[in-house]
Amino acid sequence: MSSNNIKNVKELVNSLWKWTVDRLERTTIVVFKFTVPKQYVSPFGYLGTLTAIVFAILGVSGAFLMFYYRPDVELAFLSVQEIQEKVPFGYIMRNIHYHASNLMVLLAVLHLYYQYFSGRYKIKNEVLWVTGVILGVLTVLEAYTGYNLIMNQRALLAVNIGMGLTYSAPLLGPTIAPIFLGGGLFDLIIRFYALHVFILPLIMLLLAVVHFPRALVIDFPIISAVVGVIFISAGLFPAELGIRFDLTRGVVEVPEWYLTAIYAFLRAGTERFTAGALLPLLFVILFLIVPFVDRSKKLSWRDRPFFTALGVASIALVAITTVWGFYVDFSKETAFDQLYIEPTLFYGLIGGVTLSSFYVTYFYLSRQKRGQRPPPTRPIVLSSRASAVLMTTLLILVAGAVAGTFYTYSINLPNHSMFYLGVAFILFGLLLHIYRHTISVEERQKGAK
Amino acid sequence: MPPRRLLLRGVLTAALVAVVSPFVHVIDFFYRREAEGVKRQKIANMRDLTPGGFIYFSYPQTGDPKIDNDPFRQFVLIMTEDGQLRVYSRVCVHLWCLPSYIQTRRQLICPCHGSIYREEDGVAIEGPAAYQSYPTNALPMGKIEVDGNGDIWMVGVDGRIGYGREWHNIKPDELVRRV
Repeated sequence: MSSNNIKNVKELVNSLWKWTVDRLERTTIVVFKFTVPKQYVSPFGYLGTLTAIVFAILGVSGAFLMFYYRPDVELAFLSVQEIQEKVPFGYIMRNIHYHASNLMVLLAVLHLYYQYFSGRYKIKNEVLWVTGVILGVLTVLEAYTGYNLIMNQRALLAVNIGMGLTYSAPLLGPTIAPIFLGGGLFDLIIRFYALHVFILPLIMLLLAVVHFPRALVIDFPIISAVVGVIFISAGLFPAELGIRFDLTRGVVEVPEWYLTAIYAFLRAGTERFTAGALLPLLFVILFLIVPFVDRSKKLSWRDRPFFTALGVASIALVAITTVWGFYVDFSKETAFDQLYIEPTLFYGLIGGVTLSSFYVTYFYLSRQKRGQRPPPTRPIVLSSRASAVLMTTLLILVAGAVAGTFYTYSINLPNHSMFYLGVAFILFGLLLHIYRHTISVEERQKGAK
Repeated sequence: MPPRRLLLRGVLTAALVAVVSPFVHVIDFFYRREAEGVKRQKIANMRDLTPGGFIYFSYPQTGDPKIDNDPFRQFVLIMTEDGQLRVYSRVCVHLWCLPSYIQTRRQLICPCHGSIYREEDGVAIEGPAAYQSYPTNALPMGKIEVDGNGDIWMVGVDGRIGYGREWHNIKPDELVRRV
């Protein structure tokens, strides 16, 4: 092809692109201002975007899982087993979906706390904040309905606790519970399926439209690393099938990690509705009303000792109850005793830890003098040659990791394969970062000349 | 607002309410009414039972094995020592396992965590179900009728299957009617 032809093709592509962009002006997409950062910015600032990207990954992997999954009380477990053991790539697809769900909950929680401590719920962001908290609750409900679809022992435990809680709600409980339960488990699974694949995601999408700020940061190196984290965690902790639900067999089970905090309260003999619904609801309400209580103009966590201490105390409470919910005392004989948590010890300890973390944070912050901010660290600037060497090295490493992915997959070691793929994605993110760094350095130097 | 405009608004609102009102019945869509036990179903005849005898059955029966085998439709009919009839849901109110009726002990015993229910009123006396507070420590009961031929009919369920009873403190005998 002559250079003239190439030029023509380039012009054609450019004009086509311009034509499309011009017409996009008429759509809502121009409302968003997408920023692709030219250099590293802290991902804490756009954890929300990362959560949304993981949500998209969940949507795609979940849609594919629907091809094989059967929402049927007898076939559900078998179909997940089929996906896991027989469907080509099914094991990995399920692991992507499962670990992305965990990561989404984790990112949402980190996002919440980062925004909380940096006071972002102020400055006219109240609507963003409130929709965000609701989205967080929906994320957990979405994850909950998802892991119940497997119909293993763990799912039955979670469904049982959920239905018990709904029934025990004053006044409305007995009216609401049958909406989910229908005529029995055969109805329940289809209803949970409808909730999981359509109703809840639809509500989440609609809320996300309100929740999205107009400026969105799309940072490809970090996105690549997030995908890498999904695969690495899948390789290290592959999703398990569990034991098929069997109504004649008692198995000690704990729920998924984002629900063990509630489980700990239930196990400590707290009244069911108080432990499983009222306390979590109070916790959520606390976050919902924060923007309307904290009316100071100050944003930084250092200047708001009370609310910072409250946030730290809530983290302490969540952390200790989450870990405790996992703990099973296998030295005891019956399943019931193995799971029983001594209430005086439980409430004494969580009360002590929560209050003391509040106290320590509050008094530390209110007594400290504002020192000078540390001087900004000088950014590392790579020379073109160093970048080239680094990028080539990374390319070799990425190639090695991808080769490892293929090789381990071919010898039937899918967990290793996922791990290697995760490493490859993280290294690719690093490579991408060094590339953009080098480009921006070169452009700056050009500008200086 | 001028009275004429007020009238127009009132008419509009009334019309809107009228048009929307039929949709209150949409709520019925979410319930499977038949599951709440409006069906009258023959379980057995008095001749089939002797004191200590029992029959497992599903209610309400549909003919679809998938639905009829659902744990939430499993019940047991028991004739107690003194000839009283009792029907209980077989779903343990602790973690939904299926307790079996043990004739020699005259109790329902859950295979999973060992909850034990009395045959005379279905209240848990041992195991994790017994630690739950009333009304969530007792198996839901079946409402039954015995007709002139000695046929035993199940006509409804008292309680929430997998959860417990209603708040009212009904005596088991009140659920057995002779017609």
